[in-house]
Amino acid sequence: MAEARAPQKSLPKINKVDQPYWEGAAAGKLLLQKCKSCGKVQFFPRVACVDCFSELDWIESKGTGKVHTFTLVRVPRNPAFKEEVPIYYINVILDEGVIMESRLVGDAKEKVKLGDRVKVVFQQTHDPNIKLPCFELAN
Amino acid sequence: MRRKKVCFVGYGSTEYSRKSEASVLWYYADAIRDALRQTGLHKKEIRGLSITTQVSPDYSPHVAEQLGLEVDWVLNGDYGGGGGVMSVRRAADAIECGHIDVAVLVGGNSFDRSNPTQRQLEYQRGNFVDVYGYGGPNSLMALIQRLHMTQYGTTLEQIGKIAIAQRDNALNNPQALFREPMSMQDYLNSRMISDPIRLFDCVMPCSGAECVVLASEERAKKITDKPIYLVTDAEISHYQVANMLPDKTTFGMKVVGERIFSEVKHQDINLVEIYDDYPIAVMIQIEDLGFCKKGDGGKFVDAHDLTYRGNFPVNTGGGELSVGQAGLAGGFLHVVEALRQLRGEADGHQVKKAERALVTGIGWLNYGRNLGTTAALVMERR
Repeated sequence: MAEARAPQKSLPKINKVDQPYWEGAAAGKLLLQKCKSCGKVQFFPRVACVDCFSELDWIESKGTGKVHTFTLVRVPRNPAFKEEVPIYYINVILDEGVIMESRLVGDAKEKVKLGDRVKVVFQQTHDPNIKLPCFELAN
Repeated sequence: MRRKKVCFVGYGSTEYSRKSEASVLWYYADAIRDALRQTGLHKKEIRGLSITTQVSPDYSPHVAEQLGLEVDWVLNGDYGGGGGVMSVRRAADAIECGHIDVAVLVGGNSFDRSNPTQRQLEYQRGNFVDVYGYGGPNSLMALIQRLHMTQYGTTLEQIGKIAIAQRDNALNNPQALFREPMSMQDYLNSRMISDPIRLFDCVMPCSGAECVVLASEERAKKITDKPIYLVTDAEISHYQVANMLPDKTTFGMKVVGERIFSEVKHQDINLVEIYDDYPIAVMIQIEDLGFCKKGDGGKFVDAHDLTYRGNFPVNTGGGELSVGQAGLAGGFLHVVEALRQLRGEADGHQVKKAERALVTGIGWLNYGRNLGTTAALVMERR
């Protein structure tokens, strides 16, 4: 009888639409989409501009922003994350003007409050080809 | 739009269970059977079927076949928690157009694990949410609640009052899975799940189903002496979707409310059945619907008695928080409870003056914003 496999931490199932984003993250760049026509910046990756439906370019974010809201996850949906609780799950408003859902990491994270400045850091996952854009408090 | 010729003629419910593994098809059948019993309709008179569920099978023609229903109209009302109200709207459209004269709408859930094709919810957005170890809907609503508390000074006690009032309503509802009184201390001391969301902010997943029967006015008068009229209804999906800095504490219910209350007056509503996946979601909808200003939900809750005996009865049977959330039957529970109230059949938790009810549905907690689907309807006894 096969042994039950331990649950694995979730990884992205990379597709045609978000592949550039994940390639960017692996190279230490946080990429956003920008409309070729109207210039609107948007996140998460889509196939057309949410305002004018034109085609999109990729731009590199400065990777800075502020904490919009956060929660401390005690019961992760995927039990593989249980060893990491509480997980500081956050919404960041990037300086480019988009909300991004992510995770706050680093030693100072317990002090977080709404409005705190943050900067992106890239965390290695258990897949050597995939890094996750996370955030640390800037100061 | 103001409806003129469509009536609710009956409803059906199953027992709720935290353990049952009976198939979801069995639950549909049990809820529909209950409704047929109440209405005296024969199965062959059902000309339309809608299903709302998160579990397989979720193809409406397949379900109709399995239930042995020959129908002229089928629908998969796949709108998350909006499915109850939004399915009612679709069925009412079909009835007004004359496509059908009687439709049954069911929502249900079961823990039947024998079917391996249970769908992943789209809002889990594996690539951009799950990878961070988020806590599902509990976390997404926690983000919203923290913002509401910080921006408007809303307190845990104000949010907790909603859960406690609903529990009070559930004490005499035999369908409710939770019928023990809840105190403020119980609420505040309940286990933290995803700060500031506590255990008693969360619904209990369970098996069960709810059924609603709609008919044309002409048919309604032959089926029941207690037809409940659909007065007006509205919905919006993906409010603020193109806004990269959306207001997380305002749902599409704001737009829905403006549409609804261009047809009816706030003071003419006797009770509200508000989709309650979380107490904070109830408070935000009270604001969005215009019962008070944005951000004043806490003060509104302080100033009102939310029980079925009170001056602003909310979720009079206990809502999903105290009855249990049988998956997407949750969106139907509110429609059915409103029907019980308006027909005077809510034994033990009957609102004294129950002539007109507002029912809402919300669903699809989404990336960066809040709710994907928001809908509401008003029904009345004439």
